[in-house]
Amino acid sequence: MAGPRKREHWGSNIGLILAMAGNAVGLGNFLRFPVQAAKNGGGAFMIPYFVSFLLIGLPLMWVEWIIGRRAGVLGHGSTPGAYESVWRHPIAKYLGIMGILFPLVIVTYYNYIESWCLGYSILSLLGQMPSLPGLADTSVAQVLKPFSDFLSGYMNAKTLMGGQVVIPSLPAYLFFLFTFILNIAILALGVQKGIENLAKFAMPALFIMAASLVVRVFTLGAPISSDQTPLSGLAFLWEPQWSALLRPSVWLAAAGQIFFTLSLGFGAIITYASYLDEKDDIALNGLATASANEFAEVILGGSIAIPAAVVFFGVVGAQEIARGGSFNLGFVTMPAIFSSIPFGWVFSAFWFGLLFFAGITSSVALSQPVIAFLQDEYGFSKLRAALTLGVFLLIFTHIPIMLRGAMDEMDFWAGTFGLVLGATFEVIILMWFFGSDMAWEELHKGAAIRVPRFFMYITKFVTPVLLIIILGTWTVMDIITPAVKTVIQQGFLAWLRGFLGSGVGVWAGRLFMVATAILFAWLIKLAWRGRQTQGGKG
Amino acid sequence: MSWQGWAFMIIGWGVVGSLFFWCFYKVLTGKKGNYNS
Repeated sequence: MAGPRKREHWGSNIGLILAMAGNAVGLGNFLRFPVQAAKNGGGAFMIPYFVSFLLIGLPLMWVEWIIGRRAGVLGHGSTPGAYESVWRHPIAKYLGIMGILFPLVIVTYYNYIESWCLGYSILSLLGQMPSLPGLADTSVAQVLKPFSDFLSGYMNAKTLMGGQVVIPSLPAYLFFLFTFILNIAILALGVQKGIENLAKFAMPALFIMAASLVVRVFTLGAPISSDQTPLSGLAFLWEPQWSALLRPSVWLAAAGQIFFTLSLGFGAIITYASYLDEKDDIALNGLATASANEFAEVILGGSIAIPAAVVFFGVVGAQEIARGGSFNLGFVTMPAIFSSIPFGWVFSAFWFGLLFFAGITSSVALSQPVIAFLQDEYGFSKLRAALTLGVFLLIFTHIPIMLRGAMDEMDFWAGTFGLVLGATFEVIILMWFFGSDMAWEELHKGAAIRVPRFFMYITKFVTPVLLIIILGTWTVMDIITPAVKTVIQQGFLAWLRGFLGSGVGVWAGRLFMVATAILFAWLIKLAWRGRQTQGGKG
Repeated sequence: MSWQGWAFMIIGWGVVGSLFFWCFYKVLTGKKGNYNS
């Protein structure tokens, strides 16, 4: 095992913030946020959203920066070593499995979705997207049919084994391979030359493309009907429905959105913060990262897709589209809208281009925890770590690509449940085991701003309680209640049959996650044993 | 859009926009960290 080695550092302050913002700004800012806001009370949704930002988002953002910078100073860039750097307990490093397992599982399918954005962007430029049949006197579903057919043909050119195995189209697979190789190449270049340079180019490009699209949407006028204008689109998103505030599900949706949008609980922020020096500011940089993400989400993300959908399909149509989910909005509705405006192919390319940039800056961040683990704990070079990850991903990405149901299963456990679980542990470890006063002292080392002390109490008492409530509610709502309902209505055997017969893809996803967790536990054990042996010899 | 919708939108955009520009003003003009640029 490797001895102490010189770790990489960020090249500039602005590069660091852009990379951190790139990690946070993802597809969810432009697709998930407007759908969530529209479905959960419009303007009233912003109240629980901002409350969650202050009570969960911002405190966790600082928690991850504190843990990350401290771990980096002690020579660790991934959560096994990072948790141990703030909690000297033998189990701490094993809890850290979450911070390398979850991002790895997510990136296994995220690269593929990211490649759709690149594919759609290029196909838009080449004029290969379907065209709109006409908007008059037809239902939204009929109007969008050519575009939903195009998407399903792109993803599932052929199915085998009764639909359980899916073969993507050749362009989809080629765009995936290109995206995958690009990701690995950026990771192989390292933090400064790879990730930081990507962020310095991709983030300004993303903001410029998003701003261009906002201007275009605001100047759409009323091409279908005089009461379907961009302003009515904004009204649909911002008009408060006060009754929504009384629904716990709205508060839960807002807290969940803050979690996903700030990329908390992944381990990626901890890894990025580990490339800082002990006296580098984390208080202002953490806040700046969160604010850049919120700007991209609330101002830009809320002003493109939903207002455009209202202009072309009306409020009722937009509601139906929002109920169809984020992918329906991004990959079916938006191409349909662009196909009916002058130079729509340019704006379509911009739309999918910005989603691609949002995606790639997040996917390299999701990959970096494993790279850091291999570099710091096993002494791998940048190239060797990137190639190792590349070979692993190239094999196992085919599970979510080709097996139906695997992606949803992996997304639920790693991309939804896992994040809250990871964040709950990290805030407890830092604020209770490491100590809140010491954590606050760490936050203010080299700080450019002073964070009000009441945030310390919020982070120590309020944030963990809220996380436990979210975790408990999700466990009851999404795992226990459906199972109990089936057992009561159909009996235990019916539930067991349903569980065991979930499909090849679902089981492949579960097996992949469990096997990878065991692999990481073994790798951690080996690395720490090697370090002990070296320490003993020394 | 009703006055409540306008109010939510202006306050929402105002809070987020001000925070964003204040942070980047501070980052770009504040003290420089110990980065090896």
